[in-house]
Amino acid sequence: MFVLRGVQRHLRFAQRPDLNEKFYKMSGKPEPMAVFSVFQTTFLLALLSLRMYQSQVFSEPLPLAPKSLEISIDSTHQRLHLQWRVHNLAYHRELKMVFQIEISRIKTSNVIWVENYSTTVKWNQVLRWSWESQLPLECTQHFVRMRSGAADAQIPEPRFWGDWTSWEEVAVQSSLGHHPLSVFPKDKLVEEGSNVTVCYVSRSHHNNISCYLEGIQIHGEQLDPNVCVFHLNNVPFIRDTGTNMYCKMDPGGVIKGIVLFVSKVFEEPKDFSCETRDLKTLSCTWDPGKDTGLLTQLSPSYTLFESFSGKKVICTHKSWCDWQAAPDSQEMYNFTLTAGNDLRKRSVHLLFNLTHRVHPMAPFNVLFKNVSPTNAAMTWRVHSIGNYSTLLCQVELYGEGKVIQKQNVSVVANGELLVRNLEPYTEYVAQVRCAHASHFWRWSEWTRDNFTTAEAAPSEAPDVWREVKSVQGHRVVTLFWKPLSKLQAKGKILFYNVVLENLDGPSTMKLLSIPAPANCTELALDHHSYQIHVTANNSVGTSPAAVITLSRDPGNKDVEEARVKGTKDGFSLSWKPQPRDVTGYIVEWCEHPRDPRCDLQWKSLGPNTTSTVVSSDAFRPGVRYNFRIYGISTERIPYLLEKKTGYSQELAPSDSPQVHIGNLTASSFTLSWKGWPAEPQPGFLRGYSLYLKSKAVQCLPGSEKAVLPDGSVCCKYKIDNPKQKTFVVQNLQPASFYEFFLTPYTSAGEGPLGTFTKVTTQDEYSRILIRILVPMILCILLLTILCYLKSQWMKEKCYPDIPDPYKSSVLSLIKSKENPRLTIMNVKDCVPDAIEVINKREGARKSLIETEPTKPTYLHLLPTEKSYPGPGPCICFENFTYNQAASESCGPVPGPPKEQPSQLGLLTSSENVLKALGKTYVNSLGEIPAGETNLNYVSQLASPLCGDKSSLPTNPPEPALCSEYKMQMAIPMGLASPPSITPLDEGAAAHSPCPPRSSGSRCAAHGEQFAQVQSERGRAGRWTLHPGWNFQCQ
Amino acid sequence: LRFPPAAPLCLLTLLLPPLRPGAPISPAEPISQAYSLALYMQKNTSTLLQTYLQYQGSPFSDPGFSAPELQLSSLPPATVSFKTWHALDDGERLGHAQGAFLALTQHLQLVGDDQRDLNPGSPILLAQLGAARLRAQGLLGNMAAIMTALGLPIPPEEDTLGVVAFGASAFERKCRGYVVTREYGHWTDRAVKDLALLKAKYPG
Repeated sequence: MFVLRGVQRHLRFAQRPDLNEKFYKMSGKPEPMAVFSVFQTTFLLALLSLRMYQSQVFSEPLPLAPKSLEISIDSTHQRLHLQWRVHNLAYHRELKMVFQIEISRIKTSNVIWVENYSTTVKWNQVLRWSWESQLPLECTQHFVRMRSGAADAQIPEPRFWGDWTSWEEVAVQSSLGHHPLSVFPKDKLVEEGSNVTVCYVSRSHHNNISCYLEGIQIHGEQLDPNVCVFHLNNVPFIRDTGTNMYCKMDPGGVIKGIVLFVSKVFEEPKDFSCETRDLKTLSCTWDPGKDTGLLTQLSPSYTLFESFSGKKVICTHKSWCDWQAAPDSQEMYNFTLTAGNDLRKRSVHLLFNLTHRVHPMAPFNVLFKNVSPTNAAMTWRVHSIGNYSTLLCQVELYGEGKVIQKQNVSVVANGELLVRNLEPYTEYVAQVRCAHASHFWRWSEWTRDNFTTAEAAPSEAPDVWREVKSVQGHRVVTLFWKPLSKLQAKGKILFYNVVLENLDGPSTMKLLSIPAPANCTELALDHHSYQIHVTANNSVGTSPAAVITLSRDPGNKDVEEARVKGTKDGFSLSWKPQPRDVTGYIVEWCEHPRDPRCDLQWKSLGPNTTSTVVSSDAFRPGVRYNFRIYGISTERIPYLLEKKTGYSQELAPSDSPQVHIGNLTASSFTLSWKGWPAEPQPGFLRGYSLYLKSKAVQCLPGSEKAVLPDGSVCCKYKIDNPKQKTFVVQNLQPASFYEFFLTPYTSAGEGPLGTFTKVTTQDEYSRILIRILVPMILCILLLTILCYLKSQWMKEKCYPDIPDPYKSSVLSLIKSKENPRLTIMNVKDCVPDAIEVINKREGARKSLIETEPTKPTYLHLLPTEKSYPGPGPCICFENFTYNQAASESCGPVPGPPKEQPSQLGLLTSSENVLKALGKTYVNSLGEIPAGETNLNYVSQLASPLCGDKSSLPTNPPEPALCSEYKMQMAIPMGLASPPSITPLDEGAAAHSPCPPRSSGSRCAAHGEQFAQVQSERGRAGRWTLHPGWNFQCQ
Repeated sequence: LRFPPAAPLCLLTLLLPPLRPGAPISPAEPISQAYSLALYMQKNTSTLLQTYLQYQGSPFSDPGFSAPELQLSSLPPATVSFKTWHALDDGERLGHAQGAFLALTQHLQLVGDDQRDLNPGSPILLAQLGAARLRAQGLLGNMAAIMTALGLPIPPEEDTLGVVAFGASAFERKCRGYVVTREYGHWTDRAVKDLALLKAKYPG
């Protein structure tokens, strides 16, 4: 921060004794000055009187006066350089003198500096003294004068002074020309944090001048009407191109300014250090520290000075310098590194003994001799340092990147070290570095080289395993072995020897030599027992033999496969310890079971081991690995102990089986599938999941709701049995639409959802109808055929021919008894009591309802009132004539007598009955084509309500008696068939209970007979003329 | 600093010395060339001045800085009353411009040197100053061609910088650079007017 404090500054300076004068003057306070002047005058007068007194006492000549005072100005550094001579000095005489120098500012009376400069003066010597002004010299004029005095120690104070020289004026201003405004100092170079005094000088004090520092106005202190002084305290570093300060004059707009170049503080060099590598050259280095920021204005210089030799070197680099040592003549060195720029100088010192600063050169010529499998002799050379200087060397031995040995060796010129305990056929790196033994200063750089130890015979038998296959009846044995580790091989394995020994036959041996790096061989063997010895060989020797025996028995006994759960880290296998002697166990598996090559792997384990963890980077999720565990007998025969299978990680199925639908019914269907086709399976199949989609909201028992990934809800059946291949989906709605999907699942989850299969259940009723209708139709057909075939029998059984009473055997019986009372009634014997005349409208075919009921006209032929008081004999006929309706039921005769009362009971009124009868009768007849037949016999009805006479307008012959008519008609089947009526009319004579045709015609001639017609349909109230009814006549 | 794609080529042709001095050539072509160059220069003068001021610190870099009172005795001012300017004959007109641009080329060289010292870490400013000097030289050549075409005597080159104080302070050098870059703009503006007038007077 620039602190501009005119008055404060003034007060601070006032406290400094060397500047007191100046600022008392500047502050324009006359009272202290006047006091001072009085004091000064008094003092001078006193001095003068004292000097006169001394000259008189010691008769010493007056001190030699300074002459030819010349003052030169260094504006840049704001310095005044004074030079003068002392005349009249005796030749070769030296005199100690004191020169008192006074400097005034603005005017001579304003003394701002008084200094006594003591020196020894020689004859004709030019004396020099300089003074730096705080205020730029251009700001105002300065005055200088001096006087001399003897500086002899013998002369007590106060000494005698010579006369003052006249005031010399130092006026830089005059050379400035007549610029209206000037600002000083120009291009001032200062360190940050220092204080700078700036002034402006204007030609006219009437102008209004404002000054700015970095754009901010500053206020100064008026030195005189035309000069203003600014004290800038603690100036900061802003930028490397300097800080502008300018003043502007109004009116006129004149701009004048300066650039203050503020540098960062020049730092002292750090880490100054010197060392030698060969005792001839000293190399000194240092850290120059931070940059000053003003490289163009302030370039630092570095100088190296050695005080013992007095030599000096100007360094060309800013961080290092070389020095030529003199090892023979100089042992101690005292260096001074001087770093400086225009503003500041810094020095650092270093005192040392040359031999204590030896940094040896790196060793060279590192060699290895007599390299055996376990030892090697290492030699190296060092650069000599001085005469017979001993070096301490450090040797490090690296094996596989790690330090395995570290040793120190003292060396004069040639170093040697025997390196022991090495591994055969191993590459080692040895490195060596050295330092001065007696005065350790610094290690040299490393020098390194590598070597490989010699080979030795392999120490271990190779790990051997076999795979036995039967190819076309031959035994093909593939022999595998693992390459020996580097430690076991102890050299480069060149070949493997395989020796086959036939154990069954004569003792024959067969040797196969297989060059490395093969790791298997295939042998075609017969079915004898063989013992195989495998050895690995390097250039030095042979390894112990690995022995494996192939027995005659293939040994592929059935062993149940157990499941094993693998993890990311591998399969943890364990097996039962074998009771018999085993020399070890082998676990074998295929690393790539899906690959035909299988990549057989095995793991040899000791006899006491019953578990192991098989891990491999090749194990993949979703791949089933099969492990076989063999025991190795003492005869070296492997025999299978256990089988394990498992997944390192089970995966969910990737596809689903093909499902077929069967037994589709109204409420169920059956799904069947051929197991999970995915082979190889990515996990152990746990079962199946069946998803069933339907419109029903509720899931059926046995299933649960499940939400599919697409958000739809369906029912899920869990089939836990992985061997199940069918499933019946039951309790379905008939004629409903269903969708299902079956997917297998493993412990890792279900397979992906695929396309749902659509199923619609059958309709229930159509099925039932088919079930019922088909047997019914078949039955009816069968009956029809049966009826057709047995029609004659049927006829006989159902409606046999009506026997002719005249031909009846009864008649003969009667005749034989000759009972005149019992005879066959003839129609002509019947006395009609009434005749109904029916007016027939011929050709009219009206419906029953529309037909105007024809009022029957009854002609009473008999006395109506109680004509037959007593009961008369009742003759009953029965006629089993059947009409068409009888075919429906052949058995019971319609209208059996027992039913008669009830049926008749309906007819409570004879009139009603007759009405009904008549109407029906008429109508029925009306349907008969007119003109065809007018002859019909009509059965007559006798009311069964014997007691109710009053209600019977047509008085029955004997109501009290149980008289009844049974309809008896011979009417063709189906009234609509008139041709059948005719023969009936004709033929009916034979069957009719009524008199034969001849008499019948008489009846007809008399009118019609009454007939009671009972509908077979009963209650319907529809009466039709029906044949085959009994009727009674009285 | 960006030139239009054809600008270097254009500059190259303009910088070529006038062909066969003294020979009667139609003045329209050199006037047109000079006019084009002056127009092109005019587009860059304010950029140069702004770039220059930006690097000099306060008060130069203060927004709206202007100090018309600052002048250089070695550099003729471009300001002239319109009446006087209009009354100039071709020789005077071209002579004034010729003299000014001669002084400007020398002063731009000086300012470039000053700035290389004061602002060593500002290649953009140094490049712009160098480019301005080259253009001023090019315009000088064009004007010489016009004067040749018009049969006017070409004034001899003289050292306008002889009186420049080499011991100028850093602030003075900054001021000097300001005046030079400012006057360069003013003289370019005036040259555009001069050449437009000549162009109208000597239509091709």
